[in-house]
Amino acid sequence: MSGMPAALHSASLAAEPLLEVRDLTIRYRQGDRRITAVRDVNLSLKPGGALAIVGESGSGKSSVAGAILDFLGPAAEVSGTILFEGENLLGLGATPRRNILGRRIGAVFQDPFTALNPALRIGRQIAEPMVQHLRLPLPEALRRAENALHEMGIERAAEVARAFPHQLSGGMKQRALIAAALACEPPLVILDEPTTALDVTVEAQILRLLSRLRRDKGISLLFISHNLGVVRRLCDDVAVMYASQLVELGNVRRVLERPTHPYSKGLLASRPPLAAAARSNRLAAIAGQMPTSPEPEAGCVFAPRCPFCEPRCTAGAQPLTMVGEYQEVRCWKSEGLAAWPPQPAAAVATPHFHRGDALVNVTRLSKIFGGGAGLPAWRLSLAGGRPRLYRPPRRIPAVNDVTFSISPGEVLGLVGESGCGKSTLGRLLLQLLRQSDGSVEFDGADVARLSSRALAPFRKQAQLVFQNVGSSLNPRLSVGEALSRPLALFNLTSRRDRIQRVEALLDMVRLPAAYRKRFPHQLSGGERQRVAIARALATEPRFIVCDEPVSALDVSVQATIVNLLADLRDQLGLSYLFISHDLAVVAQLSDRIAVMYRGRICEIGTATDVLAPPHHPYTRMLLASAANDEPVVEPIAAGVAAGPQTGCVFAARCPHKIGAICHTTPPPVKALSESHAIACHLDIAPSTAPTPVVVHLDAQRAAI
Amino acid sequence: MVVPLTDLVTDLATDLPIDLAAAPDIHQRRRLPASLVIGGLIVLTLFTAAALAQWIAPYPYDQMHIRDRFAPPGWHYFAGTDEYGRDVFSRLLFGSQLSLALGATATIIAMAIGVPLGLIAGYRRGWVDEVIMRCLDVMLAFPPIMLVLLILAVTPPSLVKTSIAIGVLAVAPIARVTRSVTLDLMSGEFIEAARARGERLSYMLLRELLPNIWPVLMVEASLRVVFAVLLGAVLSFLGFGVQPPAADWGLMISNGRAFVDTAPWISLAPGIAMSITVIGISLVGDGLREVLDPKLGAGR
Amino acid sequence: MAAYIVRRLGTVMVIMVAMSMLVFLATHALPSNAASLILGQYSTPETQKALEHKLGFDQPLPVQYWHWASGILHGDMGKSYEMERPVAPILWDAFGRSAILALSAMAMVTILGLTLGVVAAVWRGRWPDHAASVFVYVGISVPEFYWGLVFILVFCSLFHLLPSSGSASLDDGLGAFFSHLVLPVATLTLAFLAHVTRLTRSSMVEALESMYVRVARTRGLPERLVIMRHALRNALVPSITVLAQDFGFLIGGIVAVETVFAYPGLGRMLVAALERQDLPLMQAAILVLTAVFCLANLLADLLYAVANPRIRYGGSID
Repeated sequence: MSGMPAALHSASLAAEPLLEVRDLTIRYRQGDRRITAVRDVNLSLKPGGALAIVGESGSGKSSVAGAILDFLGPAAEVSGTILFEGENLLGLGATPRRNILGRRIGAVFQDPFTALNPALRIGRQIAEPMVQHLRLPLPEALRRAENALHEMGIERAAEVARAFPHQLSGGMKQRALIAAALACEPPLVILDEPTTALDVTVEAQILRLLSRLRRDKGISLLFISHNLGVVRRLCDDVAVMYASQLVELGNVRRVLERPTHPYSKGLLASRPPLAAAARSNRLAAIAGQMPTSPEPEAGCVFAPRCPFCEPRCTAGAQPLTMVGEYQEVRCWKSEGLAAWPPQPAAAVATPHFHRGDALVNVTRLSKIFGGGAGLPAWRLSLAGGRPRLYRPPRRIPAVNDVTFSISPGEVLGLVGESGCGKSTLGRLLLQLLRQSDGSVEFDGADVARLSSRALAPFRKQAQLVFQNVGSSLNPRLSVGEALSRPLALFNLTSRRDRIQRVEALLDMVRLPAAYRKRFPHQLSGGERQRVAIARALATEPRFIVCDEPVSALDVSVQATIVNLLADLRDQLGLSYLFISHDLAVVAQLSDRIAVMYRGRICEIGTATDVLAPPHHPYTRMLLASAANDEPVVEPIAAGVAAGPQTGCVFAARCPHKIGAICHTTPPPVKALSESHAIACHLDIAPSTAPTPVVVHLDAQRAAI
Repeated sequence: MVVPLTDLVTDLATDLPIDLAAAPDIHQRRRLPASLVIGGLIVLTLFTAAALAQWIAPYPYDQMHIRDRFAPPGWHYFAGTDEYGRDVFSRLLFGSQLSLALGATATIIAMAIGVPLGLIAGYRRGWVDEVIMRCLDVMLAFPPIMLVLLILAVTPPSLVKTSIAIGVLAVAPIARVTRSVTLDLMSGEFIEAARARGERLSYMLLRELLPNIWPVLMVEASLRVVFAVLLGAVLSFLGFGVQPPAADWGLMISNGRAFVDTAPWISLAPGIAMSITVIGISLVGDGLREVLDPKLGAGR
Repeated sequence: MAAYIVRRLGTVMVIMVAMSMLVFLATHALPSNAASLILGQYSTPETQKALEHKLGFDQPLPVQYWHWASGILHGDMGKSYEMERPVAPILWDAFGRSAILALSAMAMVTILGLTLGVVAAVWRGRWPDHAASVFVYVGISVPEFYWGLVFILVFCSLFHLLPSSGSASLDDGLGAFFSHLVLPVATLTLAFLAHVTRLTRSSMVEALESMYVRVARTRGLPERLVIMRHALRNALVPSITVLAQDFGFLIGGIVAVETVFAYPGLGRMLVAALERQDLPLMQAAILVLTAVFCLANLLADLLYAVANPRIRYGGSID
């Protein structure tokens, strides 16, 4: 299946490609079996260009990068050709290859927490490749390392160079890793999901950094990601992979605005737009899941899930064909295909919510961690030569004076970055944590005061769905056992009817009844999450806290779960507290949105109120970062104070800071309308809100 | 091939993987590792031999054949005879009863006390955890043998007392391992889901946590049995374990010391028997770890 | 880190006190009649009672404990019943000899064990690893005194190379000094070498398969550098804990090995004291051995704190 060497670039420079991959095939040995992770991939990267490889989990994209970097381990069998600066990397001996790596190719990996050696200082780790490849003496290399850190936008470069990895935040670590990758000034840098583990504002900063480096130093990038928006910002060309094959190649803007292959269409269509959605709205979704052992010889691998499938698609292997200039696609029907079919709107009326009959009522809720009692809390200080014992000041509240209510059938979205306290808030509502102050009322009753006997009905009516699909199910219980337990505990059915009820629950989350016998390790991430949702539904609750339920899932799987949650909300009249860091997902599902920063609610209102246009400076920053556009505001590098804060929690990073008042006085809560409140010193009336930043995305959606 | 034993070291570096959805895991049938099979066979043979010692042994363990004293290993006496003319091989068989009984009893005692302690310490945290850990620390501050010697020196030694002493000694490591695994599990969200249902403490410990801890405990138990057998041998050797004329392996080695020049088999044979026993149990432990580790992930 | 050290010191002191109480209580629960032992043939009910009063046995336990404990702190460990001499000098003599044994063995175990463990990890799956694993299995399968006997059999009885018992001081000449040490040290080393090797191997394997080592390789660093600077540095840190744990077993091993080789150290003295129910000697010996163990653990904790950057430089920059 060899394709033509695909020379893809938007510029018309006819230079020799820096990196050329031909007929790359990667197989993994697993016992007696061989799994083909990558099949006949052909790519090309010009000097100074930026190519993205995009795909979901299991598509094989990371393996391509791994093959170039010799990262795959002994179980991998790699065949084909990888030409870098004219030399075939796969044919080289170990030593020459090693010399090229690090000197001419830099790499940045996904997880900054494990990629750095915890026992060595940062500066040392950056300097090492320089000592090794450039033959620099160590002091000189350390000096350059410090400079590199400074170039990465780290202000206290000397301090950071002498620090150990555990002393830095995730964003800092990733910058250090980028500095290490660029240490020897290589012409090619390969990045494998470098921002997936980072907050969206930090991600925006890193991406800007990478753009700048590309501009200033002419570095070529090979960027692996599942995030299409990120890719659009940074890269010239994109290759889409599905089930070990390339399905589409072309200029990034064209592919993302006018995708040709049905999979690309589906992928782009299933992303929620960054705007409030009507309750009847459903995301376009790709049915089914990616095959684990695809057989391309039999026909198009995507055919089972493709709405445009025809008998010819499954008649035999589908080749990659050129369509238009510098564009390839693996679909004979691609010319003149319609847009991905949207999901039909659900037939539901929009309910009206009266603030009076709230189901969940939260008043001045606070939670402070740390400052515990007992011996361990005391600290010893040897400052000033004399030892003395002291108790450190109490830490900042994780949740600080939060007030809101949720009506029956309503979805309140809670959005914020990691560490803002949203997960804590969710747990407080369910009384999995005891609040330090304030009250939580459920159906009129203060749940903190309930005796343990009275708590049981509350537990039945308020449930949760969590993020971590790996650990939300007990690995030793089958699906059936996990779902029967709530039924047994709350005596919801007789023993005989339990199996029936379990099957009904599985049906509600659109899983086959046979899954009853399966164990969690036999399910995919999306399936596990459905089981978790079914388990929450088993007690017939009225209110569910969803804490990042889709954050760990691929985009297409995300869309199906979001649709499922919307359907359940309508069919069963459920209320949700939907917590996420992903503004688009929250906007899709929520009636009202609350924006949280460092324990406080900055802004709360209906989805339209909050998003179009955004008012609070933090909301604006979130929206701009999420839109992956050049942010209108300039986020200041974080320097988060550890002590208790006076004034606005956002003051340290706020680009619209008025002056001293923002640091000294907590901002007043202003009601901008009946449903919309904001906590800010700025005088923001609805009519004077800054113009929204997010225009182009709507245009994009219309084109698809 | 034989895989070296790896100990259960508590986690030092924190790992924060991003859990993107994995492709569906095809349930693979794995062959049992060689270590488990071989070890299992050895242990099974030992247990059978020990159980049937009465009937298999050519001679009673205390029967003296004065005329055949110091006989070298041969057809009549497979492992020779000792200074009283007693058949070493028969004594080995009866000795295996003592060793295995000691190992099993001590481990059962240790787990019966240690596992609940570890579970509660790991589940409750807070001051309960602190108190339990401090007590365990005090116990662990003693060199192992000192503690046991203290206990045994104070009262006339016997097999039961030795078992209890060694069992008590092993409580601390078992409690620690249990606590460490419990802490690992506690970060799993299925625990929070159970609490959100309002499950009682007994349910949490018995039905949610314990089934996930068993595999690690089985591996740890095999280590403890080995430890008990070896420590029991040391104690008997020093004279603080089982008393003569019992056919305890450590005691046999001790008796044979004086004759190591002329009749080395008296001391060597029990050593070989012990070696086989310990290797067998260790192989089982290793094999269990191989089988159980990948499926569960945690277990370090 | 200062806070960590102080906390550990505090814990150690508490443990020492608790331990001394435990030792005292346990030894005083002995059913023996110490007085009759001392008096020997002169023992009658009256003389026993008089002696008991003289020795202070009729006073309440806490008072007795206090006398004993304060005596210890002044260096007075009482008088041995059996030998009718002050305990302290005898004890420190024996302690010195045991210390030579223990420290030599510890040094050998550390050097050899770490090396073998690293070799087994780096060549894992190949013959050095298999050889090491067989060695480990056999090494831990029998108690240390058994190897002692085997060595005696081979080196003393069969080949008459080395003495099988006793000890010699440096005054007797280096040759004699060492020849008495070789076998006991070798026995102790062998017993714990296996343990340290396997644990070093596993922590080294973990380091070698870690993400940061794989990343270091993608930077084109030579394998030698990756192993020595990246993997080893991290693998050694848990080894410190293991070595400390082993020291505890070593102390137990000393008791048995000194018995096998009739080496006049603290372990042998303890066994003798236990057999003869010589209270003061017993208490002192156990106390000293346990104190050594405590301090060794403390040292290990401190070394670990120094070696682990998380503890040494806690907290974060930003």
